[in-house]
Amino acid sequence: MIFSTLEHILTHISFSIVSIVITTHLITFLVDEIIKLYDSSEKGIIMTFFCITGLLVTRWIYSGHFPLSNLYESLIFLSWSFSLIHIVPYFKKNQKFLSTIIGPSAIFTQGFATSGLLTEIHESTILVPALQSEWLIMHVSMMILGYAALLCGSLLSVALLVIAVRKNRKFFFTSNHLLNLNGSFFFGEIEYMNERSNVLQNTSFFSPKNYYRSQFIQQLDYWSYRVISLGFIFLTIGILSGAVWANEAWGSYWSWDPKETWAFITWIVFAIYLHTRTNIKWKGTNSAIVASIGFLIIWICYFGVNLLGIGLHSYGSFTLTSN
Amino acid sequence: MTVSCKLKTSKNDSNNKSKNKSLQTKIVVPELDGAPALSEAAEEGESAGDRSVSVNPPPSPSKKSGLGMLKGLPRRVLSVLSNLPLAIAEMFAVAALMALGTIIDQGEAPDYYFQKYPEDNPVFGFFTWRWVLTLGFDRMFSSPVFLGTLALLGASLIACTYTTQIPVVKVAKRWSFLHSEAIRRQEYSDTLPRASLQDLGIILVGAGYEVFLKGPSLYAFKGLAGSATGSFKGSVTVPQGLNFVIGDVLGPSGFLSTPSESFNTEVHVNRFYMDYYDSGEVSQFYSDLSLFDLNGKEVMRKTISVNHPLRYGGITIYQTDWSLSALQVIKDDEGPYNLAMAPLKINGDKKLYGTFLPVGDADSPDVKGISMLARDLQSIDAIGSTGLDIKTDPGVPIVYAGFGALMLTTCISFLSHSQIWALQDGTTLVIGGKTNRAKGEFPEEMNRLLDQVPEIVESTSSTRSDNFSG
Repeated sequence: MIFSTLEHILTHISFSIVSIVITTHLITFLVDEIIKLYDSSEKGIIMTFFCITGLLVTRWIYSGHFPLSNLYESLIFLSWSFSLIHIVPYFKKNQKFLSTIIGPSAIFTQGFATSGLLTEIHESTILVPALQSEWLIMHVSMMILGYAALLCGSLLSVALLVIAVRKNRKFFFTSNHLLNLNGSFFFGEIEYMNERSNVLQNTSFFSPKNYYRSQFIQQLDYWSYRVISLGFIFLTIGILSGAVWANEAWGSYWSWDPKETWAFITWIVFAIYLHTRTNIKWKGTNSAIVASIGFLIIWICYFGVNLLGIGLHSYGSFTLTSN
Repeated sequence: MTVSCKLKTSKNDSNNKSKNKSLQTKIVVPELDGAPALSEAAEEGESAGDRSVSVNPPPSPSKKSGLGMLKGLPRRVLSVLSNLPLAIAEMFAVAALMALGTIIDQGEAPDYYFQKYPEDNPVFGFFTWRWVLTLGFDRMFSSPVFLGTLALLGASLIACTYTTQIPVVKVAKRWSFLHSEAIRRQEYSDTLPRASLQDLGIILVGAGYEVFLKGPSLYAFKGLAGSATGSFKGSVTVPQGLNFVIGDVLGPSGFLSTPSESFNTEVHVNRFYMDYYDSGEVSQFYSDLSLFDLNGKEVMRKTISVNHPLRYGGITIYQTDWSLSALQVIKDDEGPYNLAMAPLKINGDKKLYGTFLPVGDADSPDVKGISMLARDLQSIDAIGSTGLDIKTDPGVPIVYAGFGALMLTTCISFLSHSQIWALQDGTTLVIGGKTNRAKGEFPEEMNRLLDQVPEIVESTSSTRSDNFSG
């Protein structure tokens, strides 16, 4: 009882902190000078990180196994990974981009996890026989860390695309209609980037606008590449450890199960992204398009396949005899 | 004060190249050609430089002209295969085919596809069952189209390894000096008039490069330092207390499959039991197995469960399933009698087994009796059967080695590897460099470093100049 109360409290605290962080971000977009507010939003993300960590630890103690056995727990872990990426010192140099991406991403995963849509799987379920292995921690945590990093990176690429497309559109004096469509399609997360670019336009009104814009695009490109490379390593380790585990549990390391196949597709798409980067002519917009495709494919892999509920990875209603 | 530092993009580069070429003739240093290791190293550097160079090879080696016709074809095939757009197209094709394979239901009978993709109502206006069956999309992951695309991708990877990766490793292993022409051909190149090689070397060391100096040349790098067999498969459901021979269960699943000696091993299921959670759900199931050789001697005994298989003589036995085989009934202290149980199909994934105990005269037309249902082995006397998967796959170590290599190389490729060449020509310094990662940032880093190179003023020693444009 005390565990579930604690869990409840932690969930709500983390959710509200993320909401506050996003609000402060919006304010800092409009008024660039308030540095204190920006600092507080940084602290907010760190607070969120510790809240979600506490939440996961609570669940771990309470259920007695690593809290990654169903979709709800994996969503919580995903938002934990987002906040983890944020506080990793390596990316410290460039927190402004990442926190604009991470804040909304975390609130969406957190919000979806705690929303009424998934109430029936909130309870920590028992661990089915096939999941009782040390590989669970390795495989699932690597996969979700990989998803989180790849989502961040591809969102940065989407932002890059939006700004690049916007530039061209401005040139032709066409309307913003398609852009709004895009914005709502990607769950509104891009709107933040739009706003950011708006600010950029306003502030750089008297300065050479295109220079700032190209600098900004270059920065986005660089960081999305860095984050995606990191996520790609996690994804590789995750898929391979999954294959080794499958060989232990099911006697075959690759069985073309939908989840496996889509994870492989994700891997290939990001491999394409990394290859387009080796050609200097294709950098920027072209590789950003590939990364945006990757963004959609991660969601298909993560949610779409689960919604179908087929194959070996359907742990909501898992039985071993599914093949 | 004429040092100029430019922010260069690729377009600038190509423009500058043509400009620089006119300069080039003036800058050639005669003593360079005499230096022994240079020409060989330069050749390697060039082939590693970029892919397009390999299409029109450098004119220097003359011995190849005789074999040119013979060598031309493989070289052309190589250059086509190692083409980056082709490789990317192949990867997209593989991804698309796999996605299609998850959308189309796999492994059904042809009738299923006749119904699902009828000719009079095609999906997207053209996709009918003819497509599915002709292209083998009903069994996508073993269809010739899919395997062919994979093979093409594999060929591209090998070609790319041959033409690009191996030279890169070679260059990384041995420090190689380039002459001025080759230096200019690098992704990044710049010329500093009135600068000293030694100063550049010191600055590069300060920036974490390994620097090698030889006469008028310099080389520096950062980062990477020298950087199906046949199988058998089978599955069996064995009631507790019975035996089976491994060889009877296994069927070959690869074209190189040959049975081994351990196929004669007999497996006896000593006991099958299950663990439950407090809520009654199955938590784990176990089989206590004994292995006997041909002479009836027990060679191994182990209790296996899901995730904990048994390995013996190259054969692996996995616990994958269970069922109920018989219900034990004691009648008037006699027995126990075994009533065979049959699985019942119900909605959902929960298992249910049923049996029927006749009461009274079994020969009469309307048999009365008791039907009994069981969900699992809890609180009943029943004989469970264990579902075992048996597999022998000698290829697993190779596959695991591949996994290890893939993980290692993915991690290594995340590390960046940058190389710099420089050449002192009088007071002018020719600098070239390339990197495998962060291609956009490398010129910036180079410009920043080159900004620090002190300018040589004619009379005095080197002084730090401060009016550069970035």
